[in-house]
Amino acid sequence: MAEHRTQIKIVGEILDTATQEIDECEGTTITHIIRKANISHGRLSRILNNLVSQGLLEQVTSKRSYRYKTSPSGREFLVAYKTFREFSDDFGLTI
Amino acid sequence: MEFFLEIILNLIGLLVGLVIGTISYIGFKNTASPTLFRLSIAFFAIGIGFGILAAGFILDDFIFKTGDINRGISTLGVASQVVGYWFIAFSHTIRTFFPKSRYLRSIGAIPLFLVSFSYIENILRAVSFILLVYGAIETMISYIQGRRKTTLFVAIGLSLLGFGEIIGWYSFVFPESVLYASSIVIKIGGLISVGIPVSKIPLKKISFDENL
Repeated sequence: MAEHRTQIKIVGEILDTATQEIDECEGTTITHIIRKANISHGRLSRILNNLVSQGLLEQVTSKRSYRYKTSPSGREFLVAYKTFREFSDDFGLTI
Repeated sequence: MEFFLEIILNLIGLLVGLVIGTISYIGFKNTASPTLFRLSIAFFAIGIGFGILAAGFILDDFIFKTGDINRGISTLGVASQVVGYWFIAFSHTIRTFFPKSRYLRSIGAIPLFLVSFSYIENILRAVSFILLVYGAIETMISYIQGRRKTTLFVAIGLSLLGFGEIIGWYSFVFPESVLYASSIVIKIGGLISVGIPVSKIPLKKISFDENL
């Protein structure tokens, strides 16, 4: 049975994916995020817009396409997310 | 001696509850996770419950000197702990409150209420025991799935708290035995075990953007 993912878990996976650099370019493509985070394009677009407006993601233009990279604030959030994900895992709970 | 042990137990419970509650709340503030919010309420309630009991024992030991904690204060403390255990159990999503098996219902659940129906405190203790068992079982299942050592410590801690509660009930039947002191020592072990995950949280301050 597929595991239910909370919104915060999806955001964590997106930010984690966007920290990686693909093809030596800055940021990650939407296609790559869709594949890694396993999420539909429509839902991902809404989440990406939200994350960009909150300053957790940065949108960069590269080779006529949008790429996304995790901002310094996003990296700080990711550190906190990973720390407290482990903390809630210790209690047998999902963040 | 028992009063001294009770005060030590409840002060440890207050400390463990507040520390885990605070860390969970920091986690909630930084990640907006509902799970961490529930966990913070749970451990704040458990810590406050232990604190109320500690205050009750200290007040009686130093001021009232009746030889027993005030029933109202102890009921309030136990009620606060029940709220905390309920939030832990709720986080594990309670499907059924009692075991489904008719056998378990007759053998396992009824004795919990045979101790005394007359005191709210005993009923609350019975409820907190059920919630502790539920939380311990669910945490053990999580350990089996994830094989995280700290999850095992939490499961053992919750089990020890429940076991200590059972031993404490038997001390009503055998009042002069070592059962009561044993139950307190077991509960202290349980509290320390539940607090082990806190040691993994980095103590350095994590700075966050205020606009987040």
